[in-house]
Amino acid sequence: MIASLPGWVVLLIAPVVVLHVVIGIVTYVTLLERKFAARMQSRIGPYRVGPHGLLQPIADAVKLMMKEDVVPTAADRPIYNLAPIVFLLPCMLIFATIPFAPGLGVADLNIGILFFLAVSAMEIVGLFMAGWGSNNKYALLSAMRAVNQVISYDLPFIFASLVPVLLAGSLRLGDIAAAQSGLWFVFYPVIGQLAFIAFIASTVAAENRAPFDILEAESELVAGFRVEYSGMKFALIQLGEYAHIIGSSFLGALLFLGAWAGPGPEWLGPVWFLIKAMFVFLLVTWVRWSFVRIRVDQILALSWKALMPATLLLLIATAFVVVWRTNGGV
Amino acid sequence: MTTAAAPKRVELDYAGSERLTMNMGPQHPSAHGVFRAILQLEGETVVDVDAVIGYLHRCHEKLSETLTYAQYPSIASKTDYVAAMTSEFAYVRAAEQIGKIEVPKRAQYLRVITSELQRVASHLLWLGTWCLDLGGALGGGATIFLYCIRERELVLDLFESLVGARLLYGFYQVGGVRYDVPADWVKTCRETVDLIDSRITEYEHMLEDNPFFMARVQGVGVITRELAEDVGISGPLLRGSGVDFDLRRAEPYSSYEDFQFIVPVETAGDCFARYRVRMVEFRESLKIVRQALDRLPDGPISSRPGLKSVAQTRIPKGEAYVRVEGARGEVGCYLVADGSAKPYRMKWRGASFSNLAILPHIVPGHKVADVVAIMGSVDPVFGEVDR
Amino acid sequence: MAASEVQTVADVRANRDARRTGGTDVIVIVRTILSAMRMTFLNLFRKPVTVHYPDKTRNYPDRYRGLLALVYEKDTGEEACIGCRLCEYVCPPAVIKVEMLKSEKRNYAKSFTLELYACEFCELCVQVCPTDAIVMMKSFDMPTTDRRELLLDKDRLHSIGLTFEQSWATGNKLRDMQGPPKQAKPVAHAPAAAEGTTVS
Repeated sequence: MIASLPGWVVLLIAPVVVLHVVIGIVTYVTLLERKFAARMQSRIGPYRVGPHGLLQPIADAVKLMMKEDVVPTAADRPIYNLAPIVFLLPCMLIFATIPFAPGLGVADLNIGILFFLAVSAMEIVGLFMAGWGSNNKYALLSAMRAVNQVISYDLPFIFASLVPVLLAGSLRLGDIAAAQSGLWFVFYPVIGQLAFIAFIASTVAAENRAPFDILEAESELVAGFRVEYSGMKFALIQLGEYAHIIGSSFLGALLFLGAWAGPGPEWLGPVWFLIKAMFVFLLVTWVRWSFVRIRVDQILALSWKALMPATLLLLIATAFVVVWRTNGGV
Repeated sequence: MTTAAAPKRVELDYAGSERLTMNMGPQHPSAHGVFRAILQLEGETVVDVDAVIGYLHRCHEKLSETLTYAQYPSIASKTDYVAAMTSEFAYVRAAEQIGKIEVPKRAQYLRVITSELQRVASHLLWLGTWCLDLGGALGGGATIFLYCIRERELVLDLFESLVGARLLYGFYQVGGVRYDVPADWVKTCRETVDLIDSRITEYEHMLEDNPFFMARVQGVGVITRELAEDVGISGPLLRGSGVDFDLRRAEPYSSYEDFQFIVPVETAGDCFARYRVRMVEFRESLKIVRQALDRLPDGPISSRPGLKSVAQTRIPKGEAYVRVEGARGEVGCYLVADGSAKPYRMKWRGASFSNLAILPHIVPGHKVADVVAIMGSVDPVFGEVDR
Repeated sequence: MAASEVQTVADVRANRDARRTGGTDVIVIVRTILSAMRMTFLNLFRKPVTVHYPDKTRNYPDRYRGLLALVYEKDTGEEACIGCRLCEYVCPPAVIKVEMLKSEKRNYAKSFTLELYACEFCELCVQVCPTDAIVMMKSFDMPTTDRRELLLDKDRLHSIGLTFEQSWATGNKLRDMQGPPKQAKPVAHAPAAAEGTTVS
């Protein structure tokens, strides 16, 4: 049905639809996280706004839109104002390459995963602009930590994502998903599980989620690089952060958990995809609410001394396995 | 006594970079109250720390000169508001020592029970807020914080059925205590104590099995034994640095000599050592409470008649300094009585006030993230610091 | 009685450390991470401890120190307060102001103001009252938007006394509990259950 429409129509409508769906998912994912975290802490999450708190994200959105936009006097105006947008844009752009069903996506590029990884690393620019433009020592300190950390952890993230690419033999996300129709990559003996764990660990760190959230560190730097933002700009930054996490969850579900593969008719595919992405997201959330954070030098040590060599070795091992498989071994 | 070591000022040979003066201001999520620390940073390393206090000064000492011995104990709670009965204990003991007033055995045991339960409640709050500081308000720290608060609520429920109030009591009076236990309080107390014991084991596992937590607290904020004795800190800070000194053992008061308990001492002197000391103190306090409940004697709860008028309690001329082992250290009350119903002069020795003096000695050289870990393990309460 | 029991805590921890057998560091780290995550996972299935206030309230214990109120005498129905001002003198933050009205048989309080916004809820006024006139209630439910509504005069104090449930403590009971030489006995109270009760 999608293929029968003229290309330019799809090109106009698809991004709009995907954008709205993504924003809807991101908004309600905040509620999911709050309820999940609350249950782990022996309490109930949002409960009063709407039945069982279902209207809470909408109330939050309305509140943020109505808030006064306070700009510090000495802030670097152009950079300060532009930073939320520069932060949000890559986080939304990563959804362009994810196919939600065979053939259903904005643009299933040939270099899909390369686009995803490259664009998702661009949010650091927005982050640093926010820290610098705020004219606040706390924000600057946190922005400097952020640049350190995100760059350090993007490398293991890339290496861990390249393992399914090697196993599938293509950079195109649709092909990787299709190659898992027999066996999901996470069930691949040893390599699959190790790559999945490395993916989760580097996702948690590259997105500044606890226990690697030294850059926002509420008890030290209050809100980190976001400290001087209020109102709609803060909403944009929050939106960007959660969109990045959800995007990585979708990527994880696609690379390792077989994307839309699941029992039932074919139109149920996107639903399974969503469920698997939520599973990855809840895994990340579970890790977040279980650990205290570690210091910045320990985070960097973990990345450069442990995670990156490990994922590099894993990639080389995967290459050997692939070669051995294509040359006749089973 | 050797002279105190000068505060350590670490000079880093950091070519070309500037010193950043950062204010961990009085309004800060992990300042444990209102505390201003002016940090000099080079990169991420703290080079110097300047502590500014006094934001919570409420003139307790002047206030005590205008209030009688009957009125002040409920105000005394407000110094160390987390473990409120400790301050009341010091004040009424000082008055009793000057006036040579006997306290009946049952009242002494009740004082011991409530003191130890206060210690448990205070340490629960310490553990929760420390993990909150380490792990963030939205992160694993918050999880442990809520678990600890859940347990602290049980202890506060016990106090509520005994006294009627949850946080600031007014339980002690000169000559004994004000309230006697309700009929089923002993049973509920025992059940609560057992529950808290099992839950503390869970938290210990959750924290000590956690490599992130251990990486944050081991080797951080080391107080050597000489420094500890020089600066004059007390409580778990002292015992975590290898000095075996606990007032309940050194100068037993209020029937503490009747109970069997261990005084935990660790030699490492870092945040982890102080954490271990407090975790063992939990268990020992619960042990003391169980022993006291088993042997609670009958009798009156006060050696003075019930309070009928404000100037009923007169203490003859004299002065005394009385100290009590609080959750944070040695809480002392120096009282000068002049024969009337109001003291002539009262001075508090706040445990946290003296403990905060250690900060300029141990913080320089650490990273910013360690500052909160150290502050949390020092466990100040600013009601005690500023009075 | 207790021998010197100062020990380092090395032997207290001996059992726990013995649990940790050898093994490479990575295995230990992975195992410990999983055990911490198991802790939070288990809590996912414990019942939340939230009480849905104000739909449900918890049972307050009998001695709860809530709002203050003036009461009437049980037998005659007259105001119990005789305007003796003992509560005014004992109050630490001095929030009570009383004026006495002399009469033939007994005295009354001409005016009685209590500044609830400054009250410490220390129960000293209840303790010293000779006629059990001022008592505390088992509830604190009096939210207002204007601080002047918390400046309670005699009529409001009486109406609070009629609206809420009174807590156990009155002056005579407290003085009997404290004073020697009578043998103090533990007083029976209603058990404070932890379940929430629905507010009628």
